[in-house]
This record gives sequence, C-alpha cells and structure tokens, in this order.
Amino acid sequence: MATYDSLFSTLGLEDWCSEGQSDGPMSMADLLAKTKGSDVEEPSIWELPFPSMDALNESCAAFPQSRELTKGLEQGFLAVKDSLSLVLDPLTQPLSWFLDGALYAILNTPWWIVIPVLLAVVYLVSKSGKLVAFVGASIALLAFIDHYDYAMQTLAIIFVCAFLCVLLGVPIGIAMARSNTLQRMITPVLDMLQTLPPFVYLIPLIFLFSVTESKLYGIAIILYAIVPVIRLTNLGIRLVDKDVIEAADAFGMTPRQKLYKVQIPLALPNIMAGVNQTIMMSLAMVVIASLVSAPGLGVLVLRGIRNLELGVGLVSGLGIVILAVILDRVTKASLARINVSQKQ
Amino acid sequence: MAKDIKISIRNLYKIFGPNPEVALEYVRRGMGKAELLEQQKHVLGLRDINVDIHDGEITVIMGLSGSGKSTLIRHLNRLIDPTAGEIHVDGEDVMSYTGEQLRQLRRERMSMVFQKFALLPHKTVLENAGMAKDIRGYTTSDFEADARKWLARVGLEGNEHQYPHQLSGGMQQRVGIARALVSDAPIMLMDEAFSALDPLIRSDMQDLLLELQGELQKTIVFITHDLDEALKLADHLVILKDGEVVQQGDPQEILLNPGDPYIVDFISDINRARVLRVRSVMSPPDDGDSEFAGDISEKDNLESVLLKSEGDMSLNFRVLRDNKHVGTLHMKDLARALVPTAASADRSKNAA
Repeated sequence: MATYDSLFSTLGLEDWCSEGQSDGPMSMADLLAKTKGSDVEEPSIWELPFPSMDALNESCAAFPQSRELTKGLEQGFLAVKDSLSLVLDPLTQPLSWFLDGALYAILNTPWWIVIPVLLAVVYLVSKSGKLVAFVGASIALLAFIDHYDYAMQTLAIIFVCAFLCVLLGVPIGIAMARSNTLQRMITPVLDMLQTLPPFVYLIPLIFLFSVTESKLYGIAIILYAIVPVIRLTNLGIRLVDKDVIEAADAFGMTPRQKLYKVQIPLALPNIMAGVNQTIMMSLAMVVIASLVSAPGLGVLVLRGIRNLELGVGLVSGLGIVILAVILDRVTKASLARINVSQKQ
Repeated sequence: MAKDIKISIRNLYKIFGPNPEVALEYVRRGMGKAELLEQQKHVLGLRDINVDIHDGEITVIMGLSGSGKSTLIRHLNRLIDPTAGEIHVDGEDVMSYTGEQLRQLRRERMSMVFQKFALLPHKTVLENAGMAKDIRGYTTSDFEADARKWLARVGLEGNEHQYPHQLSGGMQQRVGIARALVSDAPIMLMDEAFSALDPLIRSDMQDLLLELQGELQKTIVFITHDLDEALKLADHLVILKDGEVVQQGDPQEILLNPGDPYIVDFISDINRARVLRVRSVMSPPDDGDSEFAGDISEKDNLESVLLKSEGDMSLNFRVLRDNKHVGTLHMKDLARALVPTAASADRSKNAA
C-alpha cells in the first residue's frame, strides 16, 4: 500500500499499472512491510513523499523510475554516438594534427631557439623590455627546476587552443552582434558551457573519441575557453559608439567596410579582453584535461594527487601559476597598448 | 537670387512606433502630437514638411529639442526613412534609390558633420579627413594632398598625425568639417555641428563656415537650436515646432514679420540691432535731394549703423552694393525696425 495508490485508482489507470507489474525481486521495504503483517500504520501527513518518479513507481509499477531517465539518456547517447562520431571525427581531425604538430615542434626544437622566439613574441606584442626580462627569468626558473618540457607542452596546447578559440569565437561574436535572434539563441548555450562543471563535458567526449587522440582534450579546452571571446566580441561590437556608426553610414560605407574599418577596430579593446580571458581559461582547463591524457604540467599535478606526492604537486602547481602570470601580463600589456591608441 | 532647387522635400511625414501606417491616417485627419502619443502610442516625428533647399545657399532648420530637426536632416540622406512623402535631390527621387544608388549619393553628393564629431578614434587626423575618399577606394597617398589642403584651410596645419583624442572639441569639429570638404560633395549636412562647442569657439566656427561658404558656395543644410546662430548663418530659415514647419523664408523677413506667436516669443530675446541688416529696412534710392551722412553697405547690421550715427535719429545714409547706390536708410526707419513686435512686448511686460 503506497501513498499514491488512490491517485491512480481515481484516474482509472489501475489496469495500465498492473500491466507493468514485474516479477522482479521484492524491495527491502516491501519485505519489511510484509513481515510486519497487515497492521501498517496510516502514514502521517508529515511523511508524505513528494510525488517523484520513484514514489509514483511504488504505487504504479508501469510508471518509470528515475534511474530509467539516466539510463535512457545514456542509451540515447550511445545510439547516436556512432553516427555522431562519423561526422565529428573527420571534422575535428585537423585539431589533432595541430596539437600533435605543435607539441612535436616545441619539444624537438632546442631550448636556445624556443626561448628567444618566445621572448621576441613577448616584445612584439608588449613593447616592454621589463616584461621581456620578467618572462625570460620565469621561463629560466622553470627550466632550471627541470619543468621546461612540461611547461612547453602546456604552452603549446594553450597556443593552439586559444588560437582556434579566437578563430572561431570572433566570427561567432560578430554574427551575434548583428542579429538579436542569434544572440538570444547562442546566449543560453554560452551560459551552459560556462557553468557546466568542466569534468562533465569530458564524459561524452570520452565516448565520442578515442582517449589516445589529442583532439579529445583539445575539444574540451576549446568548448570551455571559447565563451569569453564570443561574449566580449559581441559586447564590444554592440558597444561601438552609435554616432561613429551613423557617420560611417552617412559617408556611404558598405556593411563590410563598416565591419573592418569601424566596428572591429573600435571593439578591439573588448575583443582583446576576451582573448585574455580565453587564454586564462584554457590554462585552467589544460590541467583538468590531463585526466584525459593531455600532456604538460597537469600530468604532474595529477601524479601529485594520485600518489600523494606532495612536493611534485606543489612544484607543478607553482609552475602553472608562473605560466598564468606570464600569459596574463603579456596579454594585458598588449591590451593596454590598444587602449592607449583608442582613447576617446 | 533665384537659384536652382537642389533638394526638395514634399509632404514628408515621419511617425515612430510599431504601426506607423495606421497612425499616419489619424495624423492626416488632423490628430495632434500629444493625442497621437496618448491614444495610439505613436510618436509624431514630422508632419507634412515641404521645404525647398536652394543650390549654393545655407538653409538653416531651427527648432527646440524634440521639434524633429535632427530627424528631418537624416531624411535627406535616408539615414531615416520617411513614413510618407517625397525627397528629390537634383530632381531625382531619393526614395526610389536602390542600396547601391543610395551609397553613391552618400559618398559623392552629400557629406555630413555631426554634433558629437563622430571621428574614428583609431585613425589619425589626416586619415579621418580623408575618410570619404578612403571609403570610395582611394589610398592615403591619393587623398593626402587634398586632405592636407583642407586641414590647413580649417586651421589644423601641423596636426595631421595626431589622433582625435589629442585635440580639443573645437579642433575635432574642424576635422569633421575638413572631412566633409575633402569628400567634394556639393551638399553638406550639418547636424547641430557647433552645439557642443563653447560660445567663443562656436562663433569662430560660424565665421569659418561663412568664409568657406563664400569661397565654395556649397548647398548647406544646417541644424541648430540657437536662434542667434540661425540668424547669423541662414540664407533661408525654416522654423520647426513639434514636427511641423511654423514659418520659413528669409530670416530678416521672419524677424520683421513673425507669422506665429511661437516665433514672436522666440525672437523677443534677441538683439535685433545686431541681426537686422540694412537691406531689410532701407528705402528705395531717393532722387538725390536728401543729405547723406555717410555710405554704408547693404550687408551691414543696424548696430554698426547706430554706432556710425552716434544716436542721431535725423540722419540718412546712402546704401551701397558693389559701390552702386541701391537705397537710402532713414534713421527713423531704423528706429522703427528696432521696436519689438507687439506680442513680445506684452510678454516682456508680463515677465516684469
């Protein structure tokens, strides 16, 4: 005798319910109730269960239990998995090539070429000697404590993923800025990507792709890190001074001229702020992605946790902090340079 | 001075709201702005505007904020599309233009100067000045000489490689004017171009504009809320109120014969002696019997004549245009012209 029996009997669904009667083993609760005999106490209002799937199932065996929901989702996913990976596999294959290529290149180039090239890039975007010195010292420190290879792997992954994020995110952001409908459609997706715990989207990816392929973690990082660059591109273009846009129209700019000569240049500070966020988020994700075989400092962190090697974990954690500071400072410095030239 | 009509606006209506066509019917049947807003939730922008803008003249459209003047000027290059009505530029119906023709019009035949300057902050002064040419596909080296010439003409020699944010407001608006001039468009639309500037600089810019106009004879449509500015610049003055033309014509004529209590109120505060010119109050030339105290130009304002006469109301002046005797100014007429209109006198009494 379950709480919601009367509900199904008033609805006249008893037949339907009894059809679903299973011959499965009795649950513990049923057994207990049976041993106690028929003197079951009238359940008090305080113990009224919420009419959840499981509670309703007790009264009506045909009603699905909640574990069937998760099972259904899983089976549904497994059913479309093969056809999905048939489409996604070749589509995302270049990502594997990029990642493998970048990792191979950075590890097989001698350090005395890689470090100067990195420093040259830093100088190019920041035009600041101080920052170059700081970055040089930080990388030297990492190399000195024999974390150079790990740090460079992490950097290579971040470069590839952040580059692809910008390549995909900026056009998406521009499209969003142009159409309110598209903005309404994409915003919830972005909200979901941003709030979904990063571990959660590793799960379906593991089913879709083989764990030995680098695109698995590449996709996870890109999905996680692409959000800010899309959001801020959209915002930046929407915030471009209406008067300047009007002037562009009044002088007869085509939509394409307006985009390249006015909207993107004026939105650049915001877009760069998005790029900065994207790089920082890829760094956060690259650590988590070591769970699915992403190489780099994250592997050491994982080893620290798994084997309780405190020192290894702490040192690699420190390495990640150093990388984060370097990346943040360099992107902020280039952002500041853009801001100066755009002061209103 | 019968000049060709460059732009003609016919029966122009603009109604803002979700369903302007329906609201238009109510407006045509005579519903007012306040009623329309209350009953139909539509905003009446412009009602039955008919204005002819003549080639080579400065047409000033004046009105207070909300009178629809900025809306009106944006109809000329179709930054805003009308609800009903026609706009003809050089005899062509602008409303029938395709996107490409419209762009052509905006690129080559109309330029615009904005209240908030609207310069590109990431481009130098030189590149901003050449913006119109750049849009047409010229490279910087193509338009550099031209841009430098006009920047020098508006007083910005040596600032070519600065960025807009390094310049003061007045200088930024000079860039805005240079940008319009470099485009070589025969029509210049100026939307409250000087309203954001402080009074002294504004007066300088007005002088600059008049000077340039003397050389170039462009067709200028100038929007302002400032009557003094309007009277200083206008060849043809259009006064808007609540989206309707209250009066239009020669500014001197409007000043001497205001056709509406609204305008009377408007002009009661201005210095008539400074605005009225000799040609508006002079008589036809006498047959030489009167004594002349001196020669004045028909373009002089009455203030300068008063100064010359030292307050003697019995004098007569000979009025010259290009050194030809075209009329006589009796100081009595001058005094009469300075008498404020009756209604405005009442109003000033009430105010006192």
